[in-house]
Amino acid sequence: MNSDLNLLPSRSTSITEVGAGGGAVVCGKVSLAGSVSQRACVFCGSRVVLYPIADALHVVHGPIGCAAYTWDIRGARSSGPQLFRNSFSTDLQELDVVYGGEAKLERTLNKLIDRHHPKAAFIYSTCIVGLIGDDVGAVCKRVSAAKGIPVLQVQSEGFKGTKKDGYKAACEAVFRLIGTGDTASIGPHSINLLGDFNIAGETWLVREYFERIGVEVVATITGDGRVDDIRRCHGAKLNLVQCAGSMTHLAKRLQDDHGIPFKKVSFFGIEDMAAALYGAAEFFADAVLMERAREIVSGEVARIMPQLRAWRTELEGRKAAIYVGGAFKAFSLVRALRTLGMRTALVGTQTGDKDDYEMLREMCDPGTIIVDDSNPIELAKFCLEQEVDLFIGGVKERPIAYKLGIGFCDHNHERKEALAGFEGMLNFAREVHASVTSPVWNYVPRRARPKSRETTREGNAA
Amino acid sequence: MRKVAIYGKGGIGKSTTTQNTVAGLVEMGKRVMVVGCDPKADSTRLLLGGLAQRSVLDTLREEGEDVELADIRAKGFCSSLCVESGGPEPGVGCAGRGIITSINMLEQLGAYDESEQLDYVFYDVLGDVVCGGFAMPIREGKAEEIYIVVSGEMMAMYAANNICKGIQKYAQTGAVRLGGLICNSRKTDNEKELIQALAARLGTHMIHFVPRHNDVQRAEIQRKTVIEWNAACEQADEYRTLARSIEGNKKFVIPKPLSIQELENLLMEFGILGT
Repeated sequence: MNSDLNLLPSRSTSITEVGAGGGAVVCGKVSLAGSVSQRACVFCGSRVVLYPIADALHVVHGPIGCAAYTWDIRGARSSGPQLFRNSFSTDLQELDVVYGGEAKLERTLNKLIDRHHPKAAFIYSTCIVGLIGDDVGAVCKRVSAAKGIPVLQVQSEGFKGTKKDGYKAACEAVFRLIGTGDTASIGPHSINLLGDFNIAGETWLVREYFERIGVEVVATITGDGRVDDIRRCHGAKLNLVQCAGSMTHLAKRLQDDHGIPFKKVSFFGIEDMAAALYGAAEFFADAVLMERAREIVSGEVARIMPQLRAWRTELEGRKAAIYVGGAFKAFSLVRALRTLGMRTALVGTQTGDKDDYEMLREMCDPGTIIVDDSNPIELAKFCLEQEVDLFIGGVKERPIAYKLGIGFCDHNHERKEALAGFEGMLNFAREVHASVTSPVWNYVPRRARPKSRETTREGNAA
Repeated sequence: MRKVAIYGKGGIGKSTTTQNTVAGLVEMGKRVMVVGCDPKADSTRLLLGGLAQRSVLDTLREEGEDVELADIRAKGFCSSLCVESGGPEPGVGCAGRGIITSINMLEQLGAYDESEQLDYVFYDVLGDVVCGGFAMPIREGKAEEIYIVVSGEMMAMYAANNICKGIQKYAQTGAVRLGGLICNSRKTDNEKELIQALAARLGTHMIHFVPRHNDVQRAEIQRKTVIEWNAACEQADEYRTLARSIEGNKKFVIPKPLSIQELENLLMEFGILGT
């Protein structure tokens, strides 16, 4: 089916069709003007990455909107402190801009630290702070000395790049905590989990698998994160990076400065979750670990497979669109959908790089559309043209799917359902099945016109 | 009400010239308000007999929204009305935004209302128009006639030419026009002729040549304008003449800024060749 939606000409190099040839997908660029990008700003990138650190104070230095619109932005859960779920802001106003916001920041920090006794504080710079040039670093230093806790500047001025630069700023801030804690009690089979944000308790699920096979999890960064764990996480022997887009920078810093190797993994889908467990066991070259990993995988797979198979019979041949932040999640989703008998017809990311898109080109079937840094018009166009049955994305994609009358599965950081691990695969399959097979889609406008579907099919065949 | 802004290179004598000229105008019976647009808040010192004025921004910061015109506007020499925008210490905050805030505040408080019966408002703007905030007086019709204080020194002329670029930009969309160049003499070679020639190239005129005289410094030390300090001295008459020229000025133009090459050629012609 052809839609009457047109692409912006300059966007064509960032879109490709599997099997249609063409060069590398152009990516990693600042979004095109006129294309309403699905990306957020630098500040937002930093905020989403750091805020799950539960016992830290997170203060947004800027006008109130920046703090308000990113308040509790992930469904990140904590097993203890809930301080991170508050949104603190210096609420900069006209005269603060004129006279500078440093004094107000210092007052704010002193007051909040006295009231909440956090283990550390992160101060996020917003656009206006970058313009008026507040010396946030100097304020942090003074407050840190006065209060005896780390007070860390996050250089996340919104205008200074893409959301990815925000991830980097977040990694730099958290890196300054690392190396300040005692590592004496950390054992030889120890890892850190990087880039899992404990959405709906996912970090807990995954952590338990590793602990069951005998691997010690030193720090989870940042899901259910704790300042003291992060301070000593340089004592771990391996880093597993789940959200590659946001945390690869930190993993590289840990490799360069502390000699800790890292592996990019994913905890979504049976194959990837199993691969992550086997990968860790393999790294420690310990037969006992490997044996336990096998036991867990076979046990869990046996437990969930019958149900997955039952759903699969109804999902076979259905098509999905995927638009997510990082490419590793996209890889996992392509595989997980395949487990359910579904084909990926459209896949895109906000922050993927050239290699990621090559990988997607290899993984996906011919005819799949691959797109970098997309916008609502493009996503709508390809969903219609590919006649997808399901859209997997985040909060900004949900209305696109619903307006087109397409089932939607929330796989972004706002979700309330755990989708990682074996248990998560079962949840994911349940949600996909319920969405795709719902009778409601028979009544949406595009399905209510079966004629036009027939004609386009013929048109395509011709 | 005529809305005048004085621009020019830092240190060229904008504040001194503005206040002495305003003294000439108020002596003629005109009702004039001076708005200092410099974070240093020293644009009204001679009219007020010292740094006696609390700035708009300091007042706003200390008193909140409940500010009255009387809190931020003081009466100076011959009932001239003096306002200082003020702003942050060097190196912090955003002084440019301060000027926007402060002029908006004055408008809200009715400082420009008909009932104030002003004949003139003068904006005295800090030398380096570093960002959009410092261009506030020439935007949105705040000031409609600009006088640039200049001397025969090269850098002063460069600055004047640059300011003309700003005026040209804002003249496309608003009422702002160049009223002329005020030469504040530094006793450089062929200074008068050079500035007259520069003015002609820019499409304007040199509205007055203010000779250099130590009486200006003497008056400044006494925190007075020349007219107040010694109404009978020669320099007082120079400022009276300048005030009358502005009062009678009819030549308001969109300037045609020179290229750097043209500007340097002009200097060669009048400066170096003249020696």
